[in-house]
Amino acid sequence: MTPNPPATRAPDAAPAPAPPAGEQWYTEFGTRIYRYLRYHVASADDAEELTAETFLRAVRAAGRFDPARGNPKAWLFRIAQNVLRDARRRDRRRGSVPLESFRDLVSDAPSPEERVLHQEEVRRLLTAVDGLAERDREVVSLRYGSELEYGEIASILGIREPAVRTRLWRALGRLREAMTQ
Amino acid sequence: MTPGEVPPDLAPVDRLLRRARFEPRASLGPEVTGRLRRGEAPAVPHRRTPLVWGATAAGFAGLAGAVWLMAARPAPTRTIDRCCFDLDGGGSLDDGVLVVTTPGQRVQRLWVYEDVDHSGGWTAGDRLRFVRGAAPVLIGPPVSGAVATQCCLDWDGGGAADDGLMVVRSSPDRVVMAAIYETGPDPASIDGWQLR
Repeated sequence: MTPNPPATRAPDAAPAPAPPAGEQWYTEFGTRIYRYLRYHVASADDAEELTAETFLRAVRAAGRFDPARGNPKAWLFRIAQNVLRDARRRDRRRGSVPLESFRDLVSDAPSPEERVLHQEEVRRLLTAVDGLAERDREVVSLRYGSELEYGEIASILGIREPAVRTRLWRALGRLREAMTQ
Repeated sequence: MTPGEVPPDLAPVDRLLRRARFEPRASLGPEVTGRLRRGEAPAVPHRRTPLVWGATAAGFAGLAGAVWLMAARPAPTRTIDRCCFDLDGGGSLDDGVLVVTTPGQRVQRLWVYEDVDHSGGWTAGDRLRFVRGAAPVLIGPPVSGAVATQCCLDWDGGGAADDGLMVVRSSPDRVVMAAIYETGPDPASIDGWQLR
């Protein structure tokens, strides 16, 4: 009697190959990176371009990422910070012309009029955010743009969690003042 | 992130910030992964070692003036906004197309929108059905036969009314692809169209 052959997996049941790291990172963190950048730039077009640039750079630098030192989230956000810094430097020479600032704004307003009012409210808010100091804008964009937890923000900014709270609340206080002026 | 984590006096500004939520367009993911798969280089070269910097500094210095001049004079772009067609299969002539293009070159941005306020052009109150950048991407499964074309108009800003627009949808109101083509010798035949 011959033993049963070992069970083999049918070709059509073979697992799909894992996507390359860059694509996987985009799937996991692309939206959060976009939202972080969106709090810093005037238009969706700019945020899209900087998001793409972040992942292009990440793939180039993938060899230097050590998974043993943590997940790639903080590392990707630090790349996004550098991309943003470079873009600011570049845009001092070449201004960008936003076509329509808020086409990417999530709005559940039922009518066009209410959508426009929501956009105006957000425009005022982001103008005030833009007037904050760099470190305050960072913490606001990571918290409200990317919706990160305090601990995650602490690891990206390289500060302790209580310091994140303090910095955020101080930034919110300044925003409140700016919006009432 | 849960509400009520900030002192009460900061709650109003906290609420305002929570309402400012942005969503990247659906076609951004396919565009980024396409660029990654092609091995596209980042716009800014990665950090080099000091030795390499030293060796290349002189070359860069020589080029800096030219680069600065190019940056100071970006290629002119044109924005073309045309309305109103039935592109999404909804049955009414309420769809518009907004194209940002460098005349004679590739299309840079393409939006398909629903002219909600019937203004005859794009306004902030309109609803975007599809947005893409420079690369045409398919963001969902198309339905056989659900293709709308508009020919021949000046869609690419080149001045001649010789361009075709193609819009593919997966269901009424859901556009999954849009592209501008330069028509061939026979505009009626889509075979000879070239992607703009």
